[in-house]
Amino acid sequence: MSVQTTHDKLTLRIDGPVAAFSRIFTVAGNTLREAGRNKLFFGLLGVTILMLIFSVLLSDLALADQKIRLVTDFGLAVIPLVCIATAVLLGAVLLYKEIDRKTLYAILPKPIRRSEFLLGKFLGLSLLLFGQLILLAVCWAGVLHLRGGTFSMALAQALGLNYIEILLVTSAALFFSALSRPVLSGVLTLGVFLVGRITYVINDLMQATKGAFAEVPAMRALGRVLVAIVPDLSTFNIADELQAGVSLPPDYFVHATLYGLSWVGFFVALSLIVFERRDLV
Amino acid sequence: MAEQDDILALEHLGKTFRVGFWGTKVQAVRDVSLVLKRGESLGYLGPNGSGKTTSIKCILSLIQPTVGKIRLFGADPSNAAARARVGYLPEAPYFYDYLTPREVLDYVGKLYGLDGSTRKKRIPMLLDRLGLSHAMDRELRGFSKGMLQRVGIAQSLLSDPDLLIYDEPLSGLDPIGRKEVRELMAELRREGKSLFFSSHVLTDIETLCDAVCILDRGEVVAQGRLSDLLRMDKLESEALVELPLDTLETAKARLLALPGVELTEELGPVLRLRLPTDVVPGLTAAVVDARATLRELSQHRDSLEELFVQKAVHMVSSDGQRAPKAGSPE
Repeated sequence: MSVQTTHDKLTLRIDGPVAAFSRIFTVAGNTLREAGRNKLFFGLLGVTILMLIFSVLLSDLALADQKIRLVTDFGLAVIPLVCIATAVLLGAVLLYKEIDRKTLYAILPKPIRRSEFLLGKFLGLSLLLFGQLILLAVCWAGVLHLRGGTFSMALAQALGLNYIEILLVTSAALFFSALSRPVLSGVLTLGVFLVGRITYVINDLMQATKGAFAEVPAMRALGRVLVAIVPDLSTFNIADELQAGVSLPPDYFVHATLYGLSWVGFFVALSLIVFERRDLV
Repeated sequence: MAEQDDILALEHLGKTFRVGFWGTKVQAVRDVSLVLKRGESLGYLGPNGSGKTTSIKCILSLIQPTVGKIRLFGADPSNAAARARVGYLPEAPYFYDYLTPREVLDYVGKLYGLDGSTRKKRIPMLLDRLGLSHAMDRELRGFSKGMLQRVGIAQSLLSDPDLLIYDEPLSGLDPIGRKEVRELMAELRREGKSLFFSSHVLTDIETLCDAVCILDRGEVVAQGRLSDLLRMDKLESEALVELPLDTLETAKARLLALPGVELTEELGPVLRLRLPTDVVPGLTAAVVDARATLRELSQHRDSLEELFVQKAVHMVSSDGQRAPKAGSPE
């Protein structure tokens, strides 16, 4: 229940979960609005749409039975990468911009908790990335239709898992953004993404009988640490399975989603701890 | 009861930062204690880098004090309900430049939990009060510093707060703007708002404040009610006397021999003297005897500027550089 603080003639609703959610959504709305004016965001979006259209022309060069497959594979590869790039670029400056432009100093002295502000920023960027993914998916579906293909349920599921991966990378960017300056947080987030995508390769190399990861103890230790501290992002990438026509069991999606959201929760919790204690000088 | 009236209390507040690669300790604020009571107005003074903004950021929970305690309406500043009763204007306020003043205030109003109808009513009213009604739907990116300052003041008043904390509220404003903001602040005082503000414009502090706290390199160097600090009850006069050139030295010696007379400035044969008011008849007689001319006679009282210079700029070396204080990290 919302507690009302009567304050002279005005009533300020600042206590209770309803008021807290309202503040989170207010910050999210503003973040969405700000990011939606970002030229980089629209630039990436425009280039990707052009690339999807270009894939139709490119597919003309393919063999007759490969035309639809080329457009499908192109979309599966490009759409998540563009959304991840947006998440890294916008996420790395998410908090820094507020501090650098001193806009935060006018907001945080208001009756808003730092955790609410941070969650609002995360929610705003997540919604923007969702919108970007949906828009690109619609364009992709249109392009597939032009080629005589259909946007199947399997493709929708693949994009769904991609969104979990995007959320995970966004939460990592949020954490590094709360901790460091934009270039470093961008590099670290990119590091999480790149290592996360090849975690399964590192695992395979450590289990092999030959090679640096199998034979050199220091490399083996490094591999173990990387596998332990970096999420396995290959979980969310089912392009190979789709291309091979392998159907995944329904519980795979449930487990992958839970696995991804656990990491999102972990990074957001770390961000809250760091941001809560940070001096905003 | 007395404690209930204390809306802001700092107890031995201290803040140390670690700067540079080696994490050198810099004490930005040390042992600051003060109390602001309901309805009072306190001016927070100090030269650049004296720790004013750092203290204000501690009061608003933007940074955590290293030592000491802050009570805002009897609660810790991390308490959102306590902060809801504060209207804050940051130094050189920045807001999202893609928003209009109306949108900024709407955003702030939502954070305060003001309902839609209240926001709709109060926002145009406040923007009008700050002289921004003509620009309320223009994006902030084209605003001058003075106009941004007005937006900052408008947002600080949106929740009708009990305490206003303003960091350099008059900076960046043109003379007319400064007069208007000064009048607004005086009006807010009359409405019963408590005021805590830092400023370099000492005459404004003198006009608007009951009490001052002067900081220098993070430490309080003077604190108290203006009437006490400026010795308003002590009557002093200031005289400008021109001496005859032929008897310059003897006339000067005669005037300075009067009880309580102090030479404050000497420009050739013209002397500026400060003296107790009750010595004025003796001075006029001595001026006549010495064939000197009394050019000016006025009542004198210490100004805040004199006090500020005396307390804050206490050590100036011959090359004009302020000497470091003992124990200072500088």
